[in-house]
Amino acid sequence: MEQIVLDIKKALGGNDDFFIKRDYLLKKEVLLLGLSTLVDMTKTKTILQKQSEGLISQGKTSESIFILMGELFEDDTKKAITSVLEGKLIIYIEHTKKFIIYEPVPKGLNRSIEVPSNESVIQGPSNSFTEDIDTNIGLLRKQLTSNKLLVHSFTTGKNQKTKISLLFINGLVDKELVENINSLIEKNKSMDISNLQSMSKMLGFSSWDTVSKFNTTELPFHASQFLKKGRVVILVDQLPFALILPNLLWDMFIVESDRNFPFPIMITISCLRVIGALIALISPGMYVALVAVNPEALQIELALSVAQSREGVPYPALVEVIIMLVVLELILEASIRLPKSVGPTITMVGGIILGQAVVEAKLVSNLLIIILAATTIANSTLVGAQSSLSIRSFKYINVILSSLFGVLGLVVGLVFISSYLASLTTFGKSYLYLNIGRKEQ
Amino acid sequence: MVRSLHVMIMYVLCHLGLIFFMFPADIIASTEQGHWFPILIGIIVHFVCLLTYMKGLSFFPKKDILSIFSKSKKRVTFLFFAPVLLYLIMAIIITVRAYAEIVTLVFLSHTPLWTIILLLLSVSAYISSKGIEAILRTAFLLFILFFPILLFVLIMSFQNVDWRYAIPFDTDLGFISKPAYFESYFAFAGGFLFLGFVQPFFSYERKYVILSAIFLIPFFLFSVYIPILTLGQATASKAFLPFVLIVDSINIDWLMFDRVTMFFLLSLIAFIILYLSLLMWKAIRIINYYIPKSRPSYLLFGLSVAIFFVCFWIPDWKDVENILFMNSFLRSYVIIVVPLSIYYIGRRLKRKDTNETI
Repeated sequence: MEQIVLDIKKALGGNDDFFIKRDYLLKKEVLLLGLSTLVDMTKTKTILQKQSEGLISQGKTSESIFILMGELFEDDTKKAITSVLEGKLIIYIEHTKKFIIYEPVPKGLNRSIEVPSNESVIQGPSNSFTEDIDTNIGLLRKQLTSNKLLVHSFTTGKNQKTKISLLFINGLVDKELVENINSLIEKNKSMDISNLQSMSKMLGFSSWDTVSKFNTTELPFHASQFLKKGRVVILVDQLPFALILPNLLWDMFIVESDRNFPFPIMITISCLRVIGALIALISPGMYVALVAVNPEALQIELALSVAQSREGVPYPALVEVIIMLVVLELILEASIRLPKSVGPTITMVGGIILGQAVVEAKLVSNLLIIILAATTIANSTLVGAQSSLSIRSFKYINVILSSLFGVLGLVVGLVFISSYLASLTTFGKSYLYLNIGRKEQ
Repeated sequence: MVRSLHVMIMYVLCHLGLIFFMFPADIIASTEQGHWFPILIGIIVHFVCLLTYMKGLSFFPKKDILSIFSKSKKRVTFLFFAPVLLYLIMAIIITVRAYAEIVTLVFLSHTPLWTIILLLLSVSAYISSKGIEAILRTAFLLFILFFPILLFVLIMSFQNVDWRYAIPFDTDLGFISKPAYFESYFAFAGGFLFLGFVQPFFSYERKYVILSAIFLIPFFLFSVYIPILTLGQATASKAFLPFVLIVDSINIDWLMFDRVTMFFLLSLIAFIILYLSLLMWKAIRIINYYIPKSRPSYLLFGLSVAIFFVCFWIPDWKDVENILFMNSFLRSYVIIVVPLSIYYIGRRLKRKDTNETI
């Protein structure tokens, strides 16, 4: 065997799914190299034979046929190894030191395109992204048929090769933004990307930001609308969602598929989400402030009934709220972890605990249950998993400040959160911008 | 970058935070009748200063007032900026101390004063550490969140008004000699300086700032006249914070809250925190200009700690009023000297330029 084949064998030979098969193609001796777990060999061979026969019948020489079949390389071991790992078939022509990287029939390792599992759509296109990056780009291209849609692809990672694609609409997007992202990806090409944390490290974001720099969506329709607004979409292989850069505050309140409703209805729905965010932030803190520090702010009848509902509760309002909020967060987290068949049990148990038992045992007040329910429901109205998580965590600032300073603490907490949101920027684009795209000329 | 809207909102919020507390009491204390006249004089002074200042600044596009003086020696410019810096720091001290006192009076009677001072200072220091862009954007968010509440309470405060208290209209110039009248300028003086600091970061159109100043006129008038129209001059002059007292007396049946004051005050305090952060940012800009090597965040931390101890050290309201009065001299410097000198230097530079081109 020749040197180059020995080298490849040395690098990959430890794998049981790596194969080297001797074969004849166009009356020449060739070696076929690949991974049997990624390449469907039977089908590939049939197609290979058919293709070469077809080309022979047109009277081509074997040399030119090889060039027509795939990319021809000479003496590039590294390239050959990466290609094998990416699921390509290497056709090595013996005694020539040349090899072809051939696109084989892949094993069916991808699931089909389904409806989204984490985002629900009312009256809108509901194809969702899958793990395969090429399928995802295809989905986007289908949504957005335009010659201005550009795709830049990179292969990153030292130990783990990952394909990343950058999509944007030329002419609508801020060029500086694209250049920034491009150069950062080029610069940090050796980083292994498998999740959003490593992705944000690659793009140089602080890892201590509570609000995600990426807006994520599972829906090609949403991604395409963001592209039209001048955003940049990043697709990472094996991540079944698109990353939209930059993430803006108003994305939390506005969904593209709302545009299928009449305009006034759309505005009302968006307002509802804003109210939802405010209630989720304010109501637990407000409860603590009004019960523990500033009961005189309430009308006397209300203050009395609040006091009555807390009768027999042995600890301060802060402890009460924190206990119940933690239980609530636990239920939320548990219902994500549990398999779908066991999930309803948690809902039932949680419902009983939160609804009845805990009040009857005089551990928390009736009113708090209402507050908690309002908070959780309000929090769920927000769009996007990333944003609603950050709002979910911000409310604790308000709870703690309210327990110290009453309603003043609540307001200062809001000021603090506002200033934090105001100080966030992504590549010089503020989190509070309504829209970052350039006007179409 | 043009940020007229943000500058406009910032300008409005800063003044709103200041108007409703000391200003009505000062005006009511300075004259017996015809309160519109001292307010009007104040507004005219405000406009003249603002226009002179902005006209002066317009000779130097993309420059802040620190870099306007960059050609002259640093020691000389220090003489010019030291009073401004002192004014800013004193304004922070007065504002923090006074508002902490108001907060304890109105709704946190059991909370120690120093914790409130600490809270106000730390949040405003945090905001100012994020830079002017973040301050202005925060202003935008706070405007959306709190301005509707403020407007609602303001409209509701007309509930018990008796318009006959507005007469007599005639007035005299007696208020000029009263110290309280000069203290009332605290509501004007602090806000407009920032227009001279933001220009390297972004620009604004002058007409929008003037629009926001016009927008503020009714607030100046209402803040004084609502207490007078409700209580009459004789009673209103006895009140420590007349407007807060009026808001406290509002009764709205359908609202679940008994004390609307709380919401009114709290939204103003949100604006005050913003104002404080702006003052801190300006102070740090000046200090950093003279000590360029130090990091702004350290300076900010040092300044906040120092201010905290000074505030802690001021024992009661009488001393706050004393400082407010002592501050009057610095205030007149900021109101009169700073705009005029910027205007003068700008004019001279322009004349020089035109001479050279000829």
